Amino acid sequence: MLKEIKALIEKEIRLELRQKYALSGMILYVFSTIYVCYLSFRLKANEMDKITWNTLFWIILLFTAMNAIAKSFTQERFGRLLYQYTLASPVGIILSKIAYNTLLMLVLALIGFGVYAIIMGNPVEDIGYYLLSIVLGAVGFASTLTMVAGIASKAENSATLMAILSFPIIIPILIMLLKISKNALDGLDRSNSLDEILTLLAIDAIVLVLSVILFPFLWRS
Amino acid sequence: MKKNWYKYLSVIFLGYVIIWGFLGHIPRQPVLHETARNLYFHVPMWFGMFSLLSVSVWNSVQYLRTSNMLYDTKSAEYANSGILFGIVGIMTGSIWARYTWGAWWTNDVKLNGAAVGLLIYFAYIILRGSFNDEQQKARISSIYNIFAVALLIPLLIVLPRIGDSLHPGNGGNPGFKPMDTQHTMRIVFYPACIGWICLGFWITNLRIRLKNLEQIHQENN
Amino acid sequence: MKKAISLITILLLALNLFAQNTTNEIEMADKLYADGRIYVVVAVLATIFAGIIVYLINLDSKISKLEKQIKK
Repeated sequence: MLKEIKALIEKEIRLELRQKYALSGMILYVFSTIYVCYLSFRLKANEMDKITWNTLFWIILLFTAMNAIAKSFTQERFGRLLYQYTLASPVGIILSKIAYNTLLMLVLALIGFGVYAIIMGNPVEDIGYYLLSIVLGAVGFASTLTMVAGIASKAENSATLMAILSFPIIIPILIMLLKISKNALDGLDRSNSLDEILTLLAIDAIVLVLSVILFPFLWRS
Repeated sequence: MKKNWYKYLSVIFLGYVIIWGFLGHIPRQPVLHETARNLYFHVPMWFGMFSLLSVSVWNSVQYLRTSNMLYDTKSAEYANSGILFGIVGIMTGSIWARYTWGAWWTNDVKLNGAAVGLLIYFAYIILRGSFNDEQQKARISSIYNIFAVALLIPLLIVLPRIGDSLHPGNGGNPGFKPMDTQHTMRIVFYPACIGWICLGFWITNLRIRLKNLEQIHQENN
Repeated sequence: MKKAISLITILLLALNLFAQNTTNEIEMADKLYADGRIYVVVAVLATIFAGIIVYLINLDSKISKLEKQIKK
């Protein structure tokens, strides 16, 4: 099982590096969104409200995640890939997709944070904890959105459906992340965020277990 | 009589609630005054919604286990009735809030949880609408139902305990505490919950039977 | 001396205000009950509810009839 997952992840990465347009497309998306926000707010970094700075960053990450992860299931329209998939077990497929999307989100989130901090200024007090919240966020987004992308890909207008289905589900994760990152932003004592981190980890665990249980049903069609 | 007991129960209890809910004595509370009687109407909407949506999820699980279309019809109709109760609950809560808290909508954890829950089920309806194939529709929507509810549960149960709230009984609000312990409101409140829940089940039961008849009609023609 | 008198006056006023905090100050719809108009409210609601229940019962029996027909 583990070997299968590793092989599938390697396949996805190799595929991605070969057709670089997807990854570079997402990075460009992040850059452009950040630049649009910069132009719209037209402020020097220290004039922007901390809450606005934080929320804007997470909204950008959220939309980036939705776009990037929606693609992970639409690629399988190619007949060649379908054949490979019939050989693997559904559990392996979903776990490998979640792992790949997590990696993708980590790359995008960290690059995004770097660019965001440079262009919009960096008022973060506790950078270590902020980075932790970004990592947790990337994992959380990836795990929920991969499952939702799988559900949406089976339907007709999957792009709109992806957005509609994912927004309500992502809200608990988003609320937790906003609290943690705001605490890190203000430089509060690290123990304040423990509740939220535990809740986030619990949500991630629930999502992973559910995805593993439910995905085989999804795959049968 | 075995199948219909809950219908008689709902009529009797709701009749009792309508009469005694207004003629009965309630404790005198500041801020709430007579609107405390809303307890018999607004709060049972949420209990009704929870029970209907739980039955909907249970039917989704049963569908995935047995692939019997009857379970899918049931889960869809219970979800519809749950949404109806949720919408009415939010509207009645909004009206009540306008007169006691001064605003139609506030930044309260329970309100946010209710709104998100409703958004999830609206997305469920749209998901169902975007399929043409019956089997696919049933399977994908069952998966989404289970997934979304599993994520909704931490949102509705954990978050209200963490934050402050305007709602009576939460976040250090004295509100309904004397009413909780006093006998006078409980004797109407408990039958009200049971009555409204039974009414919800009755309405859903009618819709399910109607849907089944329509399906048989379609198959015969 | 003046300060002492004003202090005592203010304290007495305050005590007076405490005495007003009885439950009768919380407004309720007592007049509605006293006039007997509450029975009108209950009657209206009961009528509406009865109408809805009659409709539901009719719908239920129609569906039952159809189901019996199909079973044959």
